[in-house]
Amino acid sequence: MSSLNELKNEFVTKLLEESNNDVIISWTKEVLKQGVTPLSFFDQVFTPGMAEIGEKFSRLDIFLPELMDSAEKAKALSDQVLAPLLVKDTTSNSLMRGKVLICSVKGDLHDIGKNMVSLMLQVNGFEVIDMGVNVAPRDILGRAKEQEVDIIALSSLMTTSMPYMKEVVELRDGFNLKSKFAVIVGGAPITKEYSEAIGADSFGHDAVEAVQKCLLLIDRPVISK
Amino acid sequence: MKHRSRLVEVLHRAETGPIIEEAEFERKLVAPTIRSLLKKYDIKYDKSVFVPNDDDLADRVFQAGLDLAAEVGMFCQSTSRRIVWTRSELEEGLRFCPTEVTLGAGNDAVVAKARKPDDDGRVLVAGGAYGTPVPEYMYIPMSLSYLKEPVIELIDNPSLETVYGYPVKAGSPWEVLAARREAELAIQAANIAGRPGISLGCVELSPTALGGLAGASWGGYRPTDWHHAPILSELKTNYDMLSIVTHVTRIGGVLEAYYNPIYGGFVGGAEGVAVAIAGGLILLNQIHMGDTLNTRPNHPFYNCDTTPELIWGISLGVQALSRNTNLILDTLTGPAGGPGTKTILYENAAFVIATNVSGQSIMTSCHSASGGSIPRHASGLDSKICGEITHAVRGMNRAHANELLKQIVPLYINELDKKPIGLPFDKVYDIEKIEPTAEWQGMYDEVRNDLIKLGIPLDRLTH
Repeated sequence: MSSLNELKNEFVTKLLEESNNDVIISWTKEVLKQGVTPLSFFDQVFTPGMAEIGEKFSRLDIFLPELMDSAEKAKALSDQVLAPLLVKDTTSNSLMRGKVLICSVKGDLHDIGKNMVSLMLQVNGFEVIDMGVNVAPRDILGRAKEQEVDIIALSSLMTTSMPYMKEVVELRDGFNLKSKFAVIVGGAPITKEYSEAIGADSFGHDAVEAVQKCLLLIDRPVISK
Repeated sequence: MKHRSRLVEVLHRAETGPIIEEAEFERKLVAPTIRSLLKKYDIKYDKSVFVPNDDDLADRVFQAGLDLAAEVGMFCQSTSRRIVWTRSELEEGLRFCPTEVTLGAGNDAVVAKARKPDDDGRVLVAGGAYGTPVPEYMYIPMSLSYLKEPVIELIDNPSLETVYGYPVKAGSPWEVLAARREAELAIQAANIAGRPGISLGCVELSPTALGGLAGASWGGYRPTDWHHAPILSELKTNYDMLSIVTHVTRIGGVLEAYYNPIYGGFVGGAEGVAVAIAGGLILLNQIHMGDTLNTRPNHPFYNCDTTPELIWGISLGVQALSRNTNLILDTLTGPAGGPGTKTILYENAAFVIATNVSGQSIMTSCHSASGGSIPRHASGLDSKICGEITHAVRGMNRAHANELLKQIVPLYINELDKKPIGLPFDKVYDIEKIEPTAEWQGMYDEVRNDLIKLGIPLDRLTH
């Protein structure tokens, strides 16, 4: 049988080259039949494989459509094969690292940067609820409460939308929800100083850093550079 | 503005086109269509080249762009519909597009004319802090640092950080107030500089239609100014942008439409950027009906358009359009570097050489310091270098430009990932005298001399 590292490499190749979810699902089932435990597969093939996909995107060795396709195939594999097996395994950890609600705040219709962060979070094991663009502060908090998320991730590419980030933080604190959700902010005009000035809990300069900061916010080790 | 007679048809098609989810439009339509067109027309990035010099390749990119425009159309976010046109309708739109346009008024008026690759026709020079956020007290001094440079013939304005000390909120009365204030300050700066009729890029503070309409109403920006109506990446418009197009059309204003594809995003790599530029600007001509059409593709991690891949893609996209249409094209320099660095000067030089020889009509500069995203990081010298280069390379051909870029790009390429944003305006200029500091001027002069040694005749007196 191949080593776990070889399996990880094969997993990455299949994610990028196979166009059909069924192929990767069949391949994973075959690997598991040969004696790799679901937990080993998850920890040493699936998770580092997805981190590698994220790293390839951060170097632009692959582009957004390939990243999206890989994330979609990985989700299908996780939902249909790994999650049911791992739920049975009482020694396993949860598949998901945490739940993140993400959106571009009111007044901002840009979504590509936000989508990149969303995908990088997913390939690094987060469950992501994407509210899209131009989302009002009260709608953000309402959905965050309803979905019991761990982190609210706010994107703005425009200075004229930045006040709505501040409003989200103010409303969160005003409604005594600070202990419920961390807020991370990002986007071209957003700086660490601005993030601190409005009382956000963290700031990500780009999609890669956003993942690192979200991992730190939920106090988990960083796996993807 | 004769071509804007189809305004009502544009608005009608935004209400009646095929319905599609926004996510499906980009992922299931834009991305796969571009991928298949790259194969169909055999368009491949050649990393040994900075400025392509292959007319057949440029023509294939044009055909791919026309196919993209006809097959995909533009998505209207407000109606969830595609605004679609047949290939023959798009061709007719190109056939009757304006071939020249007057910007500005009186002695300050300038005329932009369609150009071709390797053309020796004059390229207009636009300069300004293009959307860079600045505090109110700095707005006029920063604008004057560009206006006092005679090489700059059109102005693109910075954006206000606050209005009367308060944050500007999109879609609120604050946006209206800020747009009015921006117009007031921009016109005041032009008057102080003795260039009252110069065409001003506007309205910078217009995340929704509120700013665009308020800033271009009575007492604000004038019809002779340069009214901007962008689309969103990739190939998306909405009621706000179409409202600005409608308003500018009805006040008889000059319209600049622009589209900024994202490198590594749904359009893919350098070759995808080239096809997206060709297709996107054909759609902009048809739907936003710009008198001038701009592109400023973006690198998602460096926030710039000066990487070798982007220079290649932009040059090729512009060549495709300038060879095959009479569109009045311009590109916006978006360096990673900022004021007070040599990086920005080399980046701007390389970008301007590549795009001017590719057939653009207006050289627009610049999105200083990480694509204009760093507040206060912009200065007049950032654009002056672009203007000087523009005049010096007039009549240069693509092969010569490529040789120059082989020497210039290595001077900055290793700096791009270091976030070389430089210094804010008040650290590189005396903001009372509106003069560069000795350090910044000295750095500028050193780079200028370096470029002269490379064979760029920045010191010649005629152009």
